[in-house]
Amino acid sequence: MTTVSGTVRSARGPVLIAGLSVGLLAVVLVAAGTGQVQISPAEVIGSVLHRLGLDVGPLPSVAHGESALWQVRFPRVVLAAIIGAALGCAGAVMQGIFGNPLAEPGVIGVSAGAAVGAALVIVTGLTAWGSWTVAAGAFVAGLITTFAVYLISRANGRTEVVTLVLTGVGVNAIGGALIGLLMFLADDSGVSAIAFWNLGSLAQANWTAVWITLPCLAIGLTFAFANSRKLDLLALGERSAQHLGVNVEKLRIQMIVMTALLGAAAVAFTGIISFVGLVVPHLIRMVAGPAHRVLLPASAIGGALLVIAADLAARTLVDYQEMPLGVLTAAVGGPAFFWLLRRTRTRAGGWG
Amino acid sequence: MSRISRRLRPVFGWGRPRVPVPRPAGSVAIEVRDLRVELGGRRVLDGIDLTVRTGEVHALVGPNGAGKSTLLAAICGDVPPSGGEIELDGAPWSQWSSTELALRRSMLTQRAMISFPFSVNEVAQMGRAPWSGLPESAGDDEIVADALRRTDVAQFAERPFTALSGGEQARVALARVLAQRATVMLLDEPTAALDLHHQELVMQVARERAEAGDAVVVVLHDLALAGAYADTVTLIAKGRVRAAGTPDAVLTSDCLSETYGHDIEVIAHPRNGLPLVVPHRPARTTRLIPTPEESR
Amino acid sequence: MKRLALAATALLLVAGGVTGCTDLGPGPASASGGASCGPVTATVASMDPEPLSPAPQPVLPVTVTGADGATVTVTDASRILPVNLYGSIAEIVFSLGLGDKVVGRDTATTFAAAEHLPVVTPGSHDLSTESVLALNPSVILADASIGPAEVLNQLRRSGIPVVMIDDEQTLDAVPVNIRAVAAALGVADAGEQLIARVQSEIDAAGKDAPADSPRIAFLYLRGTAGVYLIGGDGIGSDAMIEAIGGIDTGSELGLDGFRPMTSEGLITAAPDVLLVMTKGLESVGGIDGLLKMPGVAQTPAGQNRRIVDMADGLLLNFGTRTGKAVQALADAVHRCQGAA
Repeated sequence: MTTVSGTVRSARGPVLIAGLSVGLLAVVLVAAGTGQVQISPAEVIGSVLHRLGLDVGPLPSVAHGESALWQVRFPRVVLAAIIGAALGCAGAVMQGIFGNPLAEPGVIGVSAGAAVGAALVIVTGLTAWGSWTVAAGAFVAGLITTFAVYLISRANGRTEVVTLVLTGVGVNAIGGALIGLLMFLADDSGVSAIAFWNLGSLAQANWTAVWITLPCLAIGLTFAFANSRKLDLLALGERSAQHLGVNVEKLRIQMIVMTALLGAAAVAFTGIISFVGLVVPHLIRMVAGPAHRVLLPASAIGGALLVIAADLAARTLVDYQEMPLGVLTAAVGGPAFFWLLRRTRTRAGGWG
Repeated sequence: MSRISRRLRPVFGWGRPRVPVPRPAGSVAIEVRDLRVELGGRRVLDGIDLTVRTGEVHALVGPNGAGKSTLLAAICGDVPPSGGEIELDGAPWSQWSSTELALRRSMLTQRAMISFPFSVNEVAQMGRAPWSGLPESAGDDEIVADALRRTDVAQFAERPFTALSGGEQARVALARVLAQRATVMLLDEPTAALDLHHQELVMQVARERAEAGDAVVVVLHDLALAGAYADTVTLIAKGRVRAAGTPDAVLTSDCLSETYGHDIEVIAHPRNGLPLVVPHRPARTTRLIPTPEESR
Repeated sequence: MKRLALAATALLLVAGGVTGCTDLGPGPASASGGASCGPVTATVASMDPEPLSPAPQPVLPVTVTGADGATVTVTDASRILPVNLYGSIAEIVFSLGLGDKVVGRDTATTFAAAEHLPVVTPGSHDLSTESVLALNPSVILADASIGPAEVLNQLRRSGIPVVMIDDEQTLDAVPVNIRAVAAALGVADAGEQLIARVQSEIDAAGKDAPADSPRIAFLYLRGTAGVYLIGGDGIGSDAMIEAIGGIDTGSELGLDGFRPMTSEGLITAAPDVLLVMTKGLESVGGIDGLLKMPGVAQTPAGQNRRIVDMADGLLLNFGTRTGKAVQALADAVHRCQGAA
């Protein structure tokens, strides 16, 4: 195992975060500058500066360029960033709470519940909130399912990690069956709608979605970061963490609520996007170590970067077609996960 | 208002945690009275009385299944008593918040585990967690470095915990517990995975902490170690206190033989007078491998 | 994990369906009689909509109220984007003689005159805002059948007038829709002209309907998965079938929309004629492939090989070519009436 001196190890964190931030900005610029309406990155910057009141830089020259940028591209890129950050952070927190690098928001049933909620709304044709009804249904159902999983796995005032995971597995299976049933009951367009929602897509991104998910992200991220130290302590095991002053049960509840919030907000508007919460924290840990003070912000930024890049690929890989985002993240995330698995098992004899 | 906040403090952790006041050596840190613990319907501990004083190394010894680890867990606050009472720093458990408890007692469990590859230094740093936000946390780095040095793991400081051997991991865990600088240090069989040199090292560390004014409670299997390093020994058998007092008083041939169900002799070391605990073993009168003459 | 379970379940169901149904009945047509009249392709002389001549000149600006209740003012009809799920709006625009002003098309608009236009619905049915903006249209005509709603909102917010047409797909709605499209483009008179022409075509087709009503089932075929959907009430195929004097089997069974059909269900329904889309027929391997599908060969239609296929863009659209489409269908079906 490599021996890295103390100063280098502690410098990795800030360097990584700085690097990721630069990468994020670059990807945002590229993503905002790519699409069927021709807008160069310089025009992107110029447009932003003009909006901020500084008359610097070129404005989009092509017809409807400004609209395309502010109506279509920016909401999409910003929403992608928010969702990526939410998933990355939630994944890191889940792994800390469960002491297991395989945990991600889907494990506690958020995705399954949200998918069933969305399918229900699609099949019953509810339109109480217009086009937001599906998102609302997904959000509420995701939260309810998480709490159901949590309550079911409680015994004697405690939740055992293994019970929680197994309950989540069961809930995911039931969710899959329910969705199958709903698809059976739906008509052709309903089936496509459900199937596409399950595959995940950012095509419906708009500013309202951004304003709704942004506070969720802010709250979740802040709260998680404030508890970074305690999350670190959980790595010592429940008992030892308790001995060091951590109220393990309380922390667990709080973090599950927070993850449910982040996870439900993320999938409500885009459908199921997986592996981000699994792969990103893992990669960060490999580079900068498991300390949550670095892991949480880095996972958020890394997740944002990943989803924006994936969405960009989804939009541009095939001419005139848009691949479903969730499929792309799974197609890349799956093999990446196997590679990570092999690589970390051979190192240091543990999950690193 | 202050009475209400005092009651609510353990629930919400409001206000600054109350830092333990340094006490003179010999004062009571933990008082156990008539403790009864039942686990899974079975009575594991029955009517235990125990006093842990500062400035002392208190050894808990006894046969397997006697309840030593359970007693330590009860003292630590992990296992709720079914009867009797335990007082820590003069007040029952419910009076203290999690952080306040962490300032008063630290525990080294039998097995050291970690879910993620924190470095040795980071693991030791975790011991300082209860002190965060308090003025004492200014000395964190020094205390941690000192702990790592004392447990002979300073050379591994930047290695991942998971890359160490079992014995090295045990010492790192001890460093963490040392760094916590709680008034009472509870060690559950800290010598189990260690070689001879490091066993002695750990017990010396325990002695040093006691001399510095803390209380140390150690569960030990090795009776000689207990005899050499402990100020007080409590012998537990079948959930009851069999004997308690100084090593000389407790570690007697009769007492030990009866408790362990084996012929045990306690001899004073010829040079330093420390007890040598020797179980009776049959002398080898017959050679196991026949000599060439015998097999002809 | 859930995805895996769903995939596994789907796999099992399909496997079960295929293996379970292969022993039903004999192979293709061993029926007696009707051998002289087999599968027919219903065609029209030209898939291109017949434009009005001379082409009308839009009189602008014009303010109309769309089917969504919104009042929209159209000032420029030089760059038109007509899009909906069925291609009927594009058809109307071309029939009005304004085809040269159209800048883009939906996936259902496949006739030759529009082939060169860029498609603005990547992923088959959903509009892409950027694709539309890149074309810089001056007016968009759409209906509720195409979405997503958010994209239409984004286009409105970009300053492009979006006129919503009613999306009812019935023979009676054709004149209403033509009128709405013509009004939005400022060519109301031409609209009336077109309505008159189309109506006469439809009337002519309906006149030749024979007395005995053949039972026609519209099957939506998709590849060789062994799953097919039957069209029921409200799809449009039911209206076409009824217009030529036939009985739509799907509606008769009380189904609405597209519904998956079991092979036994199809045998019980016993349609005389199977109506399919040309591309769908190709995807299952032609007539022989269709007859191999469980349940098909056991129907009177299968036994007599009375299979009528029609181009997608012709069969289910309710635009200006409806009259010709009805005529073609009537022709194809009635040709063999009396031979079985």
